[in-house]
Amino acid sequence: MLVIVAKLVARRLLAAVPILLVVSALLFTVLRLLPVDPAAMSLPTTATIAEIEAKRREMGLDRPLPEQYVIWLSDALHGNFGRSIQFDREAGSLVAASLPATIELAGAAMALAAIFGLGGGLLLFHLRGTLFEAIADFLSILLLSIPEFLWGLILLFVFGVALHALPFTGVVSPSLPQPHVTGFLLLDALLVGRLDVFASACRHLILPALALGLAFSPAIMRVLRSSLFDVYHEDYIQQARLRGLSERQILLGHALKNAALPTLTLAGVQFGILFSGTLLVEVIYSYPGMGNLMVDAVRNADLPLIQAIGLTYCVAVLVINTVVDSLYVVLNPKLRAG
Amino acid sequence: MSLKRRAFLQMAAAASLAAPLVRSAAAAGDAATIAWPNDVPSWDPNQRFTPDAQPIFKAVYDQPLDQDPQLKLVAHLIKNWTLAPDATSMAVELRDDVTFHNGDKMTAEDFRYTFLERIRSGVKLDTANSWKRVADIVVESPIRATMKFSAPDPTAPQWMAFLGSYIVPKQYIESGGLDNFLKKPIGTGPYKLAEYELNSRIVLERNDRYWGPKAKVARVTIEIIKDPSARVAAIQSGQADFTLNVPVREVQRFQSEGGFAAELNPITRVILLQVRADLNFADQNVRLAAHHAIDKAALSMAFYGGAAVPLSVVATPGSPGYLSDFTFKFDPQLAKQLLAKSGHGPDNPVKIGLAATNGQFPSDYDMARAIVQMWQKVGIAADLQVIEYAKYFELNRASKLPEATLYSWDNATGDPEIFSGYLLNPKMPFSAWKDEAVGGRVLKLFNIADYNARIAGYRDVERFAVEQGASIPLLQSVLTVVRKRNLQYTRYGNGWVLPQTLQWS
Repeated sequence: MLVIVAKLVARRLLAAVPILLVVSALLFTVLRLLPVDPAAMSLPTTATIAEIEAKRREMGLDRPLPEQYVIWLSDALHGNFGRSIQFDREAGSLVAASLPATIELAGAAMALAAIFGLGGGLLLFHLRGTLFEAIADFLSILLLSIPEFLWGLILLFVFGVALHALPFTGVVSPSLPQPHVTGFLLLDALLVGRLDVFASACRHLILPALALGLAFSPAIMRVLRSSLFDVYHEDYIQQARLRGLSERQILLGHALKNAALPTLTLAGVQFGILFSGTLLVEVIYSYPGMGNLMVDAVRNADLPLIQAIGLTYCVAVLVINTVVDSLYVVLNPKLRAG
Repeated sequence: MSLKRRAFLQMAAAASLAAPLVRSAAAAGDAATIAWPNDVPSWDPNQRFTPDAQPIFKAVYDQPLDQDPQLKLVAHLIKNWTLAPDATSMAVELRDDVTFHNGDKMTAEDFRYTFLERIRSGVKLDTANSWKRVADIVVESPIRATMKFSAPDPTAPQWMAFLGSYIVPKQYIESGGLDNFLKKPIGTGPYKLAEYELNSRIVLERNDRYWGPKAKVARVTIEIIKDPSARVAAIQSGQADFTLNVPVREVQRFQSEGGFAAELNPITRVILLQVRADLNFADQNVRLAAHHAIDKAALSMAFYGGAAVPLSVVATPGSPGYLSDFTFKFDPQLAKQLLAKSGHGPDNPVKIGLAATNGQFPSDYDMARAIVQMWQKVGIAADLQVIEYAKYFELNRASKLPEATLYSWDNATGDPEIFSGYLLNPKMPFSAWKDEAVGGRVLKLFNIADYNARIAGYRDVERFAVEQGASIPLLQSVLTVVRKRNLQYTRYGNGWVLPQTLQWS
C-alpha cells in the first residue's frame, strides 16, 4: 500500500509543477495589469518622478512582462518572493511567520467540521422516516446557508460580547507571553511547558475555529447522510441483517466505512475552501494568520506580498488534495487493487 | 518533559479558569490593553511616515523636541535650541542623562547619526526627505551639536517633533546590524518593547530608568484589531481597556452606557476637497459655486454627530494658521448665481469628477455621496469614483486626478506649513492645485525664517486660496475614543494617544 501511496504522491508532485507555473503566471500577470505602480508605492510619497523611474528600473519593471516573470520565477525558486512594499521585509518571511497560525486555525476548524459533520450526518440518517426528519433536514439546510463570516459575527456577539465567555481577539491573553519555537503556538506552548499559554491559546482558538467548522460541517453532514442512504441499498447490508447483526453493528461496522469515502472526498475539497475561508474569519477575530496579512496586502496594493500569499494558498490546496487522495487510497481497497 | 494526561488536563483547566482572573487583576492597576487599529510598518521609526504609528513609536523612542497637549513645542531630548536668524543652522544642546534601553548613553553622535549619517548611508528612510536640507551636523561635545542646512529650514524645530524624527542608537545599529535592530529595537523612550507579534500585538514594558516622568502603567499590550466593529466588541466585552477610531454612532451609544467614557475629540486633521486648476474647474465661478453649495454643518451632523467643526480655511481652530474672523458661507443661491454666470444651472449642469477613498477615514465615501447630492441641487453633476489612498499620489503625478478629490490630511504639529504649505505647494505630490498665483505665494513662505512673519504669510495665503477656489476645506476631523471610565489618559490636540499617559484611577 505504501508503494501505491508513494506513487500517487509522486504523480501529484509532478502534476503540481505545471499547476504552480500556471497559477504563478496568472497571478503575476493579473497583478502587473492592475493600475498600481509598485515602484511609486515603495517610495515615500514625496518621491520625484526621476526617483520613481530609477526605482522602476531597479525593480525590473521597465522590462517586458514575460522577462519580468522569468526574473520573478528565478528569484522565487531561490526562496526570494520579493520585498513587501508595506513592511519592507521579505514577503516570504512574512508568509512564513503567518502561515502556522492559519494552519492551526484551519486544522482545528476542520476537526470541528468533521466532528459536527459526522455526528450530524449520523443523526440525520438516524432520524430518517421519523417525524423529526423534516425538521432536521430544514435545520441542516439552514446551517448550510450561513457563511463562515456570519457565524464569526454571531459567535463573537454571543460568546464574546454578551456572555463574556470566550476571548475573540488575538491568539493568547495579553498577560501571557507568546513562545517561539516552531511558530505553531499550541505546540510551542507545550514544548516550553507553558500550560497556561496553551490553555489561553485554545480558548482564543475556539471561536474562530467554531465559526469555520460550523460553516463547513453541514455539507459533510448531508453528503454522509446521502452516502448512507446509498450504501443501505447495497446487498451486503441486507446480508448483514440476515446474519443477525444489530443495526448499530451494521451502521458502524459496515455502512459507515463505505459511506465515508465520498464524504472524505468532499471533506478534502471543503478543507481547501476552508483554508481560503480563514481570510474573513481571521480579520473578524484579529487572528494573525495569512488571511489577515492578505487583507493588509490588498489594502496597500502590496503586490509581492499578495503574490507570495496567493501562491502559498495554491500550494496548500495542492497539498491538501494530495493528502486526501492518499487517504482515499488507504481506505478504498478497490483503488489499491487497481 | 513528561506529563501525565490527568495532570495535564487538570493544569490546562486550571490555567483556562485562571486566565480571566489574571486579566482582571492586571486591569486593576499595573497593566492595560489597548485595541489599536494598525500595526507599525516597521520598527525603524525613521523609515516610514505613518501618522497612526507615531504614538507607538513615541512610547519606545524619544524625539529631540516634543509637543505638549496643546501642541506647543517643548524641550525633550534637546534641552535648548537656537535657530539662526536666517534659518540656515540650528544649534542644539542635548540632555546628558539619557540612556538607551540597553544602557548605552545617548549623545550628540546618535543625533548626528540619526539626522545625517543614516540618511547618507543609503538606507531607505522617509526622513531622508524631511531632512534633505541637512548639509552637516557638527558635533561640538557629547551634548552639543549644530545642524547646518543647505537652504533655510525655518520649520526645522517643528520637524524635530514630527513624523519620523526619533533618535536611534548609532552604536547598537552599527555593531549589531539593521536586521538585529528591527528584531530587537531599542530607544530611549518610556517603554521598552517586550514582545512583538506581526499584525497581532505589541507588548510594552515600563522603562524604569527613563530620564523623564515614569509611565504609570507598567505593562501596556496593544492588540492590533483592524476592524472597527471588532474594536467596539473588544472594549464592550472587557477584552480591551481602551480603543480608538470607532464609528461615531458607537461613541454615541457608549456615552449612554455606564462604565465607559466615550469621546469625540476634534484634532489637527482636516477633511477637504483637493481641487485642480484646470479641466472644468478652470472656471473660478464653478470652483466657488462648488464650495458655496456644500453644507458643512450638515456633513458634520450626519457623519460626526456634529462634533467636527466646519472649516473655512485649511487649518484647525487653535492652530497658528487658523483664521477665526473668516467664514466661507454655505449659500446654494449664490452657488447657482455663480454657475449661471458661466452658463450652467440645474438644467444644464457642469460635469466634473469627484474622487474619494472608501474606508480611508470614517464615512469618507458616504460624505462624497452627500456632496454629490448637494452639488446636483445647484447644477454640478459629479461623477463619483473610488480611489485607493495610495493611488492619489500616482494619479496626481500623472495629472489624472479628477477636478476634485475628497482628502484627509493629518498635521500633528498644527504648523501652517504642514497644512497649506504642503497642500497647496505645486512642487509637492500632495497638491492637486498646480497654479503659480497661489503656489508661488506658498513657495516664498518656505524661506521666511521669522516665525511671526511666516505665520502671517500663511494666514494670507489660506484666505487667498479659498477666495480663489483653490482650496475647499470642509471639516476638522475628530478622533473617537472609548475607554474604561477609570482609565485616564492625556488628550492631545493632534489626537495622539500615548501609552505613557495612561493611568488607572
